[in-house]
Amino acid sequence: MISERVKSNLKQTFAESLLPKLGLVLLVSIVFMALFAPVLATHDPTRTGHYDEQGAPYPPLGHEYTAEIVQDGEIVEVPVEPTSEHILGTNNVGQDVYSRFLYGARISLLVGFLGTGIALLIGVPIGLIAGYYGGRVDDGLMRIADTMLAFPALVLALALLGVFGQSSIHVPDPLVIAGLADGMPESVPVPGTVIIVVALVTWVWFARVARGEALAIRNEEYVKAAKSFGTKDRTILRKHVLPNSLTPIIVLATIQVAAIILLEASLAYLGFSGTTLSWGYEIERGQGILRSRSWVSMVPGIGIVLTVISVNLLGDWLRDALDPNIEGEGR
Amino acid sequence: MSLESTTQPLVRIDGLQKYFWENDSILDRLFGNDPVPVRAVDGVSLDIHQGETLGLVGESGCGKSTMGETLLRLQEPTDGRVEFDGQNVYELSGDELTAFRHDAQVVFQDPFSSLDPRMTIGETVRQPLDVHDIGSETERDERVADLLERVGLSADQLDRYPHEFSGGQRQRIGIARALALEPEFMVLDEPTSALDVSVQAQVLNLLDDLQDEFDLTYLLISHDLSVVRHVCDRVAVMYLGEIVEVRPVDELFTEPKHPYTKALLESVPRASTDERKRDRETLTGDVPSPRDPPSGCRFRTRCPMVIPPEDMDIEQETYRELMHLRERVENRDLSLASVGDEGQFETDNGGVPDADVPAFVAALKARLLETELPPRHDAIVEEALAELADENWEAAAERLRTAYESVCERDNPSLGDGAHSVACHLHGVASERPSEPDSWT
Repeated sequence: MISERVKSNLKQTFAESLLPKLGLVLLVSIVFMALFAPVLATHDPTRTGHYDEQGAPYPPLGHEYTAEIVQDGEIVEVPVEPTSEHILGTNNVGQDVYSRFLYGARISLLVGFLGTGIALLIGVPIGLIAGYYGGRVDDGLMRIADTMLAFPALVLALALLGVFGQSSIHVPDPLVIAGLADGMPESVPVPGTVIIVVALVTWVWFARVARGEALAIRNEEYVKAAKSFGTKDRTILRKHVLPNSLTPIIVLATIQVAAIILLEASLAYLGFSGTTLSWGYEIERGQGILRSRSWVSMVPGIGIVLTVISVNLLGDWLRDALDPNIEGEGR
Repeated sequence: MSLESTTQPLVRIDGLQKYFWENDSILDRLFGNDPVPVRAVDGVSLDIHQGETLGLVGESGCGKSTMGETLLRLQEPTDGRVEFDGQNVYELSGDELTAFRHDAQVVFQDPFSSLDPRMTIGETVRQPLDVHDIGSETERDERVADLLERVGLSADQLDRYPHEFSGGQRQRIGIARALALEPEFMVLDEPTSALDVSVQAQVLNLLDDLQDEFDLTYLLISHDLSVVRHVCDRVAVMYLGEIVEVRPVDELFTEPKHPYTKALLESVPRASTDERKRDRETLTGDVPSPRDPPSGCRFRTRCPMVIPPEDMDIEQETYRELMHLRERVENRDLSLASVGDEGQFETDNGGVPDADVPAFVAALKARLLETELPPRHDAIVEEALAELADENWEAAAERLRTAYESVCERDNPSLGDGAHSVACHLHGVASERPSEPDSWT
């Protein structure tokens, strides 16, 4: 399905620019961190109480701050030294920020990729069918899509979460079971409803793009030719319409992964997450202490920014490489 | 080849209509907009006989391709029937429809759009065999290789993608795909118009050879008259969704009967030194919109030979000019405010003062008509234009209509039967005036 020409285009565009390389390196390292989080983590991310002897959370390495603690009924300011035990410090309930950062990457990527996957599975068939058949089928399906689009994604997601509730599925962590990482949580919470909800607010985009492509492709002469010798609609959709509409859908999918990661962070920030191991949740936790202990919010914030940038850089690369103008005839 | 074969035709098209509807969405219906039909094909009847090549010619947008697609049931018709081997194509279903899909194929105009860019040409040519489940896997592969070699490509190019081929090669791949099922009938929808002249002949010759080899029947849709002359046995000329003339190819080219056919043939440039001096009778005006085709004969708005009413002694040229004037009045395609010198006539409050009417009419006439009219017609035109002085469009149009309405706009001439039919009031069954007007040169 991916022709030699497309491959060579991908290679060429990749070689020509620094940005896709940067994006790839970033994304690969974030995926690596997420996959091997239990091995790379230094502490159980959910264990609280990592404070220094004065009872104050640790700052990251190379950073000192003065904490206000209550001593003998009085508020006193005491300097707090970092420790190599917690390289990125601890948060206000004494959890290791570095370990939570690694586990947060898992949630972001899971929601981002699974959410996009489900949105693709819903949106692409609906869009292709609407565009290919046109007429009333199209009118009906696209009015539903327009209705979805009329609501801001975040508001719609909050409403849907209100309907579905927030529950997460606890999936056993193979690395911990294999005994590679002792002392880590034995299961990973997968925020199931959040994944479904982000897919439900995102599929519309795939439906619209797929519809537009199908609308153009159904008038192509190769589709008419296929009809003329009696190919069934289902086969035409699968063999002609889908492969020829994939390029813009793939490009959109990369952009949507980034958008869904941001949406998940927003939902978690607002407290709708289903798990506390989320970057968005962590940002919210650090919000009140942004002046004194900024790292609590800063570390997950940087995580979100880097992930979104890396996905977008790769998306730009795909778009440039798959652009039909560059792809061109006879190249 | 017998042109007037008495046997059952392979394809019999009877009153085929295909309208496209505008303003037909839910919203339009909600707001009460009436759907507007675009009459792409409007009542076409034609027979195509076994083994012949029937050409279908006409200007762009006259409905040729729509007709080709509709008769293959790639689009559902609005009305009419098409019989293939005696069976109504639009009533087929199940196995019969599959059999029809097996026997009738199409080759398209654009070799860049007719092949799926994401399929190798082997897969493309194999597709019909897969759909109809013919032979075993290896037999299909062999057949594909044979077909490609038959159309002049080599079998080791099977795994290449369409973009690696030239336009002519692609067109031949399209032909191989259409041949895969060994059809009886092929619609060739401008198969050469996207190709270089040097390649056109190759493709046409290939089609010719294949016709002999496989006993194929062709419907060749084209706007290229030289191609039609080269390949076809009979030719049908189409104008605005209707067939205006069907004749054997030699007759059509040597003595065209319908004014439109004549104009089409005239428009072909000739490689001759006489060309410079030749007085080409080119058509005036645009093709009318198929949303609102003219009444009666559809060609009458551009016809150089419109039949004037009985007893009206009038030159064709003058008559044309009057028809043109009438059309502008009917469409209100005139600016009354700009008549005469600036500010000469007050038209603000609904009309020119009575005293100014003769001057107004004279000024308007001077602008609209180039030739001097015979007195009788001059009087009629002045009467009509005087109505315009009061912005009385309806009355002006009515005056002109009663005086100049032609048989061409009242009745739509029918095509008649047989191999030599012409749909024109000047000829055939509908004709009341067998002689051609003198003004035709």
